Amino acid sequence: MSSSRLEILNDGGLRHDARRPYELRSTSFSLGTHPTADGSSTVTQGLTSVSVTVFGPREPKQRAGVTHDRASIVVEVGVALWAGTGAQRRTRGDKRLMEVGAAIRQTFEPVIMTQLYPRSEIFINVQVISADGGILPSSINATTLALIDAGISLLDYVTSVSIGLHLTQPLLDLSAPEENDLPTLVVASLPGSGKITLAQMETRLHVDRFEEMLLLGVEAG
Amino acid sequence: MSLVLPGDAIPLPASSSLTLGPGLTASSSRSSSSLLSEPDESSAPRLAATKLGVLGSNSKGKEKGESMWVEGRSKRYIPAQKELVLGTIIARHAEGYRVDIGSSQMASLDALAFEGATKRSKPNLKVGTLVYARLSLANRDMEPEIECFDAATGKAEGFGELKGGLLLTVSLELCRQLLSPKHPLLQTLAGQFPFETAIGMNGRIWVKAGSVGETIALKRVIEAVNNGELGTSKTELDGAVKQMLA
Repeated sequence: MSSSRLEILNDGGLRHDARRPYELRSTSFSLGTHPTADGSSTVTQGLTSVSVTVFGPREPKQRAGVTHDRASIVVEVGVALWAGTGAQRRTRGDKRLMEVGAAIRQTFEPVIMTQLYPRSEIFINVQVISADGGILPSSINATTLALIDAGISLLDYVTSVSIGLHLTQPLLDLSAPEENDLPTLVVASLPGSGKITLAQMETRLHVDRFEEMLLLGVEAG
Repeated sequence: MSLVLPGDAIPLPASSSLTLGPGLTASSSRSSSSLLSEPDESSAPRLAATKLGVLGSNSKGKEKGESMWVEGRSKRYIPAQKELVLGTIIARHAEGYRVDIGSSQMASLDALAFEGATKRSKPNLKVGTLVYARLSLANRDMEPEIECFDAATGKAEGFGELKGGLLLTVSLELCRQLLSPKHPLLQTLAGQFPFETAIGMNGRIWVKAGSVGETIALKRVIEAVNNGELGTSKTELDGAVKQMLA
């Protein structure tokens, strides 16, 4: 394919975008980016950019999902057509996006104080503007900020980072080429208490390494 | 004045009784799961913030109860009892109306909840009318109820249908600030020309001035203050109003 294959970690200890193993990409956050949404935020980590808008608590659009004593959380994830490599078709992306949406929902269910808003719905809309690896951690960080912007009560805020393992060296905040090659773990944790609300991995990893990476992820958050 | 983030622990003040306002929660201490910290020995309840904002407190005296809350930014209204709100009628039933007050559930307004209303002389409001009302019942499990008279005196006191004018949607904290008498915005604007206004705690403001041009100038000035484009000093406001009236 291409003549020079990207080295994950070269001899000098640098990754393909000249970062050290534990170095995070340059990050920027902004709140209140969407004028009509109750809460909105845009997070950019390296070249990955995600914009989240939150509506709620509002009347539930689906009558079936109404719980009498809590708010229901609905998450929708959309990827812009110009994001990513451009070679993906929507049908293959749909299931992956639904998994991302379900992961975000599970992450925030214990954190949002849903018992304060019974029989209402909190609608979270995630739009990936440009994807360069790390969609899920950026979405979780952006969702936290959008919920804070909307004034929805949270027990603590959630931070998230992705970790990969290259031979024996864990790497933080993976970009797209690294994500494709390495086993990846996404950890979302609450900084105040150190509790973890999401640990997700789709590849295989040796169990000895797992604990080390999990603790590293909590600390990095 | 301290900025708090969700999850920040707040030190308990020394007063005997404490009322918690919005944005704060009391939790019994749970041992944290981090391996590095020691388990908490005291079992006293701790206060934690759940919203982003500035911590406000109202302490009346050493012995009396103190109340604390978090002053945060939001646009979505959560109904609370006895608050004054502006609502739009969206449906009409035999016994009353359904009103949209901007909360997650629609509110119900009884047809007899007006001053001097009897079964024979009910006011006849159309769908789409704007009303200024008071929340008589608001808890999170039931749909809110509003009434258009002051419960203490039984008189209208400015509640009821609002005719003419223009409705603006602003953030909740601007409405709270405008309701305090010391805020300079409304007084400065009144120095230019007379106008009538109703402020709802649900983020809606109704204004009505002598002419259409003045009303629109009011709307634009208030929206500019809401967006943060305009400060509230007298010179800035006067300059902005003149510019918009011209």
